[in-house]
Amino acid sequence: MNESRRSEGRPDPDKLLALVAKSAEGDEGKSARGRLKIFFGSSAGVGKTFAMLSEARVRQKEGRDVVVGVVEHHGRQETLALIEGLPLLPLLEIDHRGVKVKEFDLDGALSRRPGLILVDEFAHTNAPGSRHPKRWQDVEELLDNGIDVYTTLNVQHLDSVNDQVARLTGVWVRETVPDTIFEAADEIALIDVSSDELLKRLAEGKVYVAEGANTRAAQNFFKKGNLLALRELALRRTAERVDAQSDELSAAMGRDEAQVGQKIMLLVGPDPLTTRLIRHAKRMAVRGRSNWFAVYLQSDRHEQLDEKALARVEHYLRLAETLGAEIVRLTGGQPAADIVAYARRNGFTRIVVGHRRPPWWQPFRVPLSQQLIERGDGLEVTVIHGDRTDDTHSQPLTSRLAAFVARPSDYALAAGGVALCTAIGFPFRGLTPSDNLAMIYLTGVVIVAARLGLGPSVLASVLSIPAFNFFFTQPYYTFNFYDTYYYVTFTFMLVTSLVVGSLTARLSRHVRLVSNRERETQILYGLTRALSAVRGVDRMCAVAIQHLSGPFDLGVTVFTGGSVWPDDTLRADMKELGAVEWVTANHRMAGRGTDTLPSAAGLYLPLLAENEMLGVLGFTPRDAARQFTGAEILQFETFASLIAGALQRARRADEAESSRVDSENEKLRNVLLSSLSHDLRTPLTVMNGSVSALLRMRKELPRKAVDELTGVWSQLNRLQKFVGNLLDMAALTSGRMKLNLQPYMIQEIIGAALAHVQAGKEQRTLRTQITGALPMVMIDGALIEQVFVNLIENAYQHTARDGDILVRVEKDADRLRVAVSDNGEGLREGDENRIFEQFQTGQTVSSDRSGGTGLGLAICRGIVQAHGGMIYARNNKASGDGRPAGASFIFTLPIAKDVS
Amino acid sequence: MTESTRILSIEDEADIRKFLRSTLGANAMTVIEAATGKEGLQKVTTENPDVVLLDLGLPDMDGMDIIRQIREWTRTPIIVISARGQERDKIEALELGADDYLTKPFASGELIARIRVALRHAHRPPGDQPFVYDYDNLVIDTAARRVRLDGEDVHLTPIEYKLLTVLARNSGKVLTHSFLLNAVWGRHVPDNQTYLRIHTQHLREKLKDDALNPRFIVTEPGIGYRLKP
Repeated sequence: MNESRRSEGRPDPDKLLALVAKSAEGDEGKSARGRLKIFFGSSAGVGKTFAMLSEARVRQKEGRDVVVGVVEHHGRQETLALIEGLPLLPLLEIDHRGVKVKEFDLDGALSRRPGLILVDEFAHTNAPGSRHPKRWQDVEELLDNGIDVYTTLNVQHLDSVNDQVARLTGVWVRETVPDTIFEAADEIALIDVSSDELLKRLAEGKVYVAEGANTRAAQNFFKKGNLLALRELALRRTAERVDAQSDELSAAMGRDEAQVGQKIMLLVGPDPLTTRLIRHAKRMAVRGRSNWFAVYLQSDRHEQLDEKALARVEHYLRLAETLGAEIVRLTGGQPAADIVAYARRNGFTRIVVGHRRPPWWQPFRVPLSQQLIERGDGLEVTVIHGDRTDDTHSQPLTSRLAAFVARPSDYALAAGGVALCTAIGFPFRGLTPSDNLAMIYLTGVVIVAARLGLGPSVLASVLSIPAFNFFFTQPYYTFNFYDTYYYVTFTFMLVTSLVVGSLTARLSRHVRLVSNRERETQILYGLTRALSAVRGVDRMCAVAIQHLSGPFDLGVTVFTGGSVWPDDTLRADMKELGAVEWVTANHRMAGRGTDTLPSAAGLYLPLLAENEMLGVLGFTPRDAARQFTGAEILQFETFASLIAGALQRARRADEAESSRVDSENEKLRNVLLSSLSHDLRTPLTVMNGSVSALLRMRKELPRKAVDELTGVWSQLNRLQKFVGNLLDMAALTSGRMKLNLQPYMIQEIIGAALAHVQAGKEQRTLRTQITGALPMVMIDGALIEQVFVNLIENAYQHTARDGDILVRVEKDADRLRVAVSDNGEGLREGDENRIFEQFQTGQTVSSDRSGGTGLGLAICRGIVQAHGGMIYARNNKASGDGRPAGASFIFTLPIAKDVS
Repeated sequence: MTESTRILSIEDEADIRKFLRSTLGANAMTVIEAATGKEGLQKVTTENPDVVLLDLGLPDMDGMDIIRQIREWTRTPIIVISARGQERDKIEALELGADDYLTKPFASGELIARIRVALRHAHRPPGDQPFVYDYDNLVIDTAARRVRLDGEDVHLTPIEYKLLTVLARNSGKVLTHSFLLNAVWGRHVPDNQTYLRIHTQHLREKLKDDALNPRFIVTEPGIGYRLKP
């Protein structure tokens, strides 16, 4: 080798090693999810925060990196005393409409990366403008980043018991935490005190009652009866969780009890009663340890629902999802039959449905609950009655009336239609019985119903009676008539037109529904076909944007591999980019219509294929007020997974192509190297033999010939080493090298290597220093010998003829550390790593033995790394007298655990 | 060497055969040449050489097969010639009965030395016969079961003694790990080189031998041990 060296103060390799080890630990920590411990209590004042802080102090004493993220101490002395000595993360000040609010600093915590962080009040709602609306979502992100979290929670903040608590105590709690999060916690510590004790603490003023809270409400809340009930709830909820865990345990051990339980279907609708249904079904599922599904049937009625009702449906579906339900959307025309068929097909055992008494104007309507009971033979149907006062903030009437809400122009058109019918019939007046003319009006009603919907058709029906009367019954142009039988005509005309009109309207709605679906399918189909037709990420992105932005009236953006498509849409809006970044990091959707960064202009979905994050898909509505419906988001998710699949295909193809080229290059190089080595070796062997034979006869040869021969001999040796190195490198880089690991005392290997390097030693001193008793190492003896030979020969090349070379070996924890040091020129700055690259020799410095192959150190690195060790070089510390201190080449070998 | 020392060189490269012929000829040895494995096998029977030099990279036959076939009927020393980095081939050759190996390229002095060791072995009494080893003030007398170093008795455990005598009986020859394990512990021993390392280390300590700068026991990394000379 031919590395130039210079004595410079280089970083201490031990420190470097420690740093590498630390960053490796950091990587490890990142991949694992943090652990969540919830200090759980029945109400305020039981001492959750106190318990959390006490435990945190214990952890800190054990040496863990504990940080207080946020703790509500309410000025209590005991709590403040416990915080003392724990590092505090500064709170973030958020300016919300001129009011400064202090919030937990999520980004601060993520960049500080403590081992354990305390985040009080799990159910807290963050100030508007925070990344997540809820604090539990902040905690989720901390856990995702591998940070352990301690937090506190009262039972009334649990989603599934929320309504029970409200009914028990009369206090509605708005801040809730999904049960799934509670159940996913790694540890729940129940902090329990008796109700009497709690009341005593309250009397002593030790319990914090929210400022400005209605004192009477507080008094109502802290009644003994309430406290007992809450305590029971908390105990039961904890017990249920323990049950669930033991189920998981037995499932893991092969006893799969949870699977044989019930399967519950909950029917979701726009009725606000659904909230109660969801919580009921959740409790049922928890007690029965069963799976539950929230099912929404998109029937004809779905089309009639107004925006608000649709939003409610989506809200309920999402609520059910956060409580642990799976979401199913069905399409069908006959709700009861479709639901029962679906339930039977999918092995449901129980259906939970709400019930309301039909309104007075629909005395004959059979409620869905009753239909289900009649049809659902063998299924348990749980009906929850909705005629209670707390459910009546619903407006079922308005949602029914929604069908009649059409544009005024539609009604005008309907009236016009009646006028047109009159005009058409007028020339036939007197020529044909007037009953036939009534048919013209019926035809008009059908056309109006098909085109304009139910409302206008009803208007047309109603208007056609007086029009018929006025123009076509005698006496003309009056609202009177002579024949009493016209009563019958009018009645049947009205009934027929209403029935035909409503049927037609419904039919055409259905047709629209189907055609919408078809359009959706067509977009999907078109996108799939277009994506499969093009190659390359660029063109795929262009195709995706072209297919999606048109039909939805949206701005579509694709972020992948550090680029953005289309390039002109990249607005330098930090909020949007922040959302994209968050999606990339968390693999979940964010932005408009979601819980994360909801104030962003666009909705951003991860492009995930087989858990590989390929990019982000953004949808930005052109109309800033537009909100996405759940169905739309669902559709977007489908598009995202389609595009992700295509991108993955493109990427795989690229990788395959480049690796094919690589492997062909590699193959060629190896063939070249090994044939070169073989072809060189034969003549070398011959030359070597001949020259050495000649040199053995030196006494018979003239002095000048011996000198020349000696020169040839030394050059031959160099050439041999070069060929040997080429062969070694070819074996190393082709991956053909297999380690023959055997136990060795490292001294044996050094001894063998020293025997090999005697030839080039000249007047140099070569010392070996072994510190302490060395354990055996599992190594490939021949290869490690090669490492020693290369390092020692390298040292020869960079020292004077009387140089000093020291081989030191010592044990360092779980590895051996070997250092080959010399007193040569030292390394040039910046060469410490470069010299281990193939064909790197650095600058030649005053060497009469120049001519390294640039492979020796690369071979050392390959061999040491194959053994799981590391190798590096550094300059020795200068002695201060201006002379170069030389360089050290250091490598480590792991000590085998099973070799004693 | 006497005039009668006959070396069979089985080697496909004409240049190397020529070099061997001149080098060995200069050392008063007669070289019989064979360019293929088949020819080589035939000449082993017809020419009855004292030592066989066998290149493992012959085009027509696998070198291992040649060793196996030679060993079916003669103990003539075989020295294999192989390329560097083929430790597995060397071990296999040694275990099939080859006596020694040379790594290409090699110097003529090394070649002559190996041939001499091989010849000495061929003339040594076989297996269980008593013998005396005497090198650098280490004297092993198997008839007397006695080991003396620098004039003083060395006390060895039975295993150490067995190990030392196996090495001494084959002194100068590389013995593979599994050969030593079999010879010292018997066939039923698991292929665990840790035993061998530990006992060799103890033996070295008692012989005041330093692994870093061996006086008697030389480690051949990846292959085995050799007792000097």
